[in-house]
Amino acid sequence: MSRPTHGLRDWLLQRFTAVYLGCFLVYLMVSFYHQPPRDYQQWHDWITHPAMAIASAAFILALLVHGWVGMRDVVLDYVKTLHLRLLMLSLIALVFIGCGLWALQILLTGAG
Amino acid sequence: MPNQRAAPVFLNLFRIHFPVGAVTSIAHRISGVLMFLSFPLLIYLLDLSLQGPAGFDRALDYLHTGWLRAASVIIAWSLFHHLFSGIRNLLIDIDCGVSLQQARRSAWLANIAGLAMTLAWLWWIL
Repeated sequence: MSRPTHGLRDWLLQRFTAVYLGCFLVYLMVSFYHQPPRDYQQWHDWITHPAMAIASAAFILALLVHGWVGMRDVVLDYVKTLHLRLLMLSLIALVFIGCGLWALQILLTGAG
Repeated sequence: MPNQRAAPVFLNLFRIHFPVGAVTSIAHRISGVLMFLSFPLLIYLLDLSLQGPAGFDRALDYLHTGWLRAASVIIAWSLFHHLFSGIRNLLIDIDCGVSLQQARRSAWLANIAGLAMTLAWLWWIL
């Protein structure tokens, strides 16, 4: 059983997502440092502002891709037993899917 | 096997001397895995903080417990080290700072900057 490998595609994805994640995180840290949200209303209004909600959704998507490629590479490098490898990759994929859906739900219900 | 190469026999991690770039690189992986492990906690806190004023206050209370402060220091190190060594990786990808001397210097810089920002975070939360 063989399937095409996507080494270059994954390598590029990892770089592009890295740039976005880095920029967003620096923005997040700077704005938190200068204006930490004082109460629920400020925090809610800031995070549900349409521009921020879109940027956050993109951040979560980029984080899922970046995290998956990274964790997969770590598992493939260190776990050599096939069964254990499949088990770990499945568990990690489940965590990513679960966290992604959870985060999406937070953003959607928060904005509603 | 007569042709077997004589390899160093000690694999004691305290006796093997890693080049600084190797430390930066393995720490990049470790910090990435640590952040992956912290996802559920962080998303839980985000969820809680957006469940009305009471939830927001509860999330803040959690953040002020000793356990979460300790966890936040580990997450802060992971984030800053991953960010700095990641920027270093991206620069090396575009052929910036590839010579051995520059690569060693930037590896030291990423390691130290990651620790320095962690200390700044510690100072900020104490």
